[in-house]
Amino acid sequence: MHVLLVEPDRILADTYRQALQVANHAVTVVPTAQSAISAADKATPELVILELQLVEHSGIEFLYEFRSYPDWQTVPVIIHSQVPPGEFKDSQQILRDQLGVTDYLYKPHTSLRQLLRSVDQQAATPA
Amino acid sequence: MGSDDQLPPILSEELLLSVAEELKLPLLQIAREAERGEAVHPALRTIRATADSALRLLDSYALGVRLALEPAELAAESISVSSVLYDTGQQLDALAKQYGVTLELNVAGRFGPVLAHRQGLQAALVSLGAALVEALPAQGGEQLTLQLATHRSRYGIVAGLYADNRLLSAEALRHGRELQRRSRQPLLNLSHTSGAGIFVADTLLTAMRLRLHTSRHHGRYGLGTVLQSSQQIQLV
Repeated sequence: MHVLLVEPDRILADTYRQALQVANHAVTVVPTAQSAISAADKATPELVILELQLVEHSGIEFLYEFRSYPDWQTVPVIIHSQVPPGEFKDSQQILRDQLGVTDYLYKPHTSLRQLLRSVDQQAATPA
Repeated sequence: MGSDDQLPPILSEELLLSVAEELKLPLLQIAREAERGEAVHPALRTIRATADSALRLLDSYALGVRLALEPAELAAESISVSSVLYDTGQQLDALAKQYGVTLELNVAGRFGPVLAHRQGLQAALVSLGAALVEALPAQGGEQLTLQLATHRSRYGIVAGLYADNRLLSAEALRHGRELQRRSRQPLLNLSHTSGAGIFVADTLLTAMRLRLHTSRHHGRYGLGTVLQSSQQIQLV
């Protein structure tokens, strides 16, 4: 599976990239929303793993922009963020139904195994 | 020299909160990199478990400060204590293994749902549990068992952590609270460290208008909190 990993921290990005590659996924790593749009334009990813706290444009801004393109409307997105999901408790439905977020993982409580399990679930789910 | 209100906010809650948030990143880096290397180097499990535990402590501290500063965030919901204790056990499992502490879950009995802020209650019990897991071996006991239990008391439904350790007393807790800002080791009879996990639990519970109490259950001594039944859902 081709995964677009939007992760601003270089050390974490390296760790997650290597773990995903060992699990036989091809990974493109980018640190910002703008570079994520450019990367998706070059090769449409089959899955996006997204941090919400990014420099300049937020992950939520990225999601609205990403979903505005017909080719990317069905690409599953896993939010994997330092932002606790409780901060979005009133917008869960928007995240799920309008922005196509298939899973929300709170990064400080998510092991690599849990992240990979979520990725595998997406890989097993027909588009 | 300027007036007091021009001084920098040394040790303000906001500054400590941002330091806690900042420290979460290197701990997360350590924990996940250790996890990645575990398959090849099993010794990295200890590093992962302790880094994850420290990460959770900081996260719980940050949550406690936020809930205290912004009580509007405190939306209570109808929750199952058994489910919170089960998740607490899951989160403590790796650390307990490293410290040679056996975790037991005792959620027998149906007590119905309680009204609480789930994330806050969970964070308080995990902080408390991690502090006790680290403390039990340091107390020199033979039997290192920590029981996560719920039971009914005359005041409500208790969720707590229990051990065969009479040092878990109301006196030790009261004395610890008094010494918290003045002593390097305020819970002298309980913990060889600052016991921060116990105070983080105390802060979280206080922010949720609950209290950390000492408690007895099946002949064991423990720390926990009393929750009130939720009338929102009545299971048959």
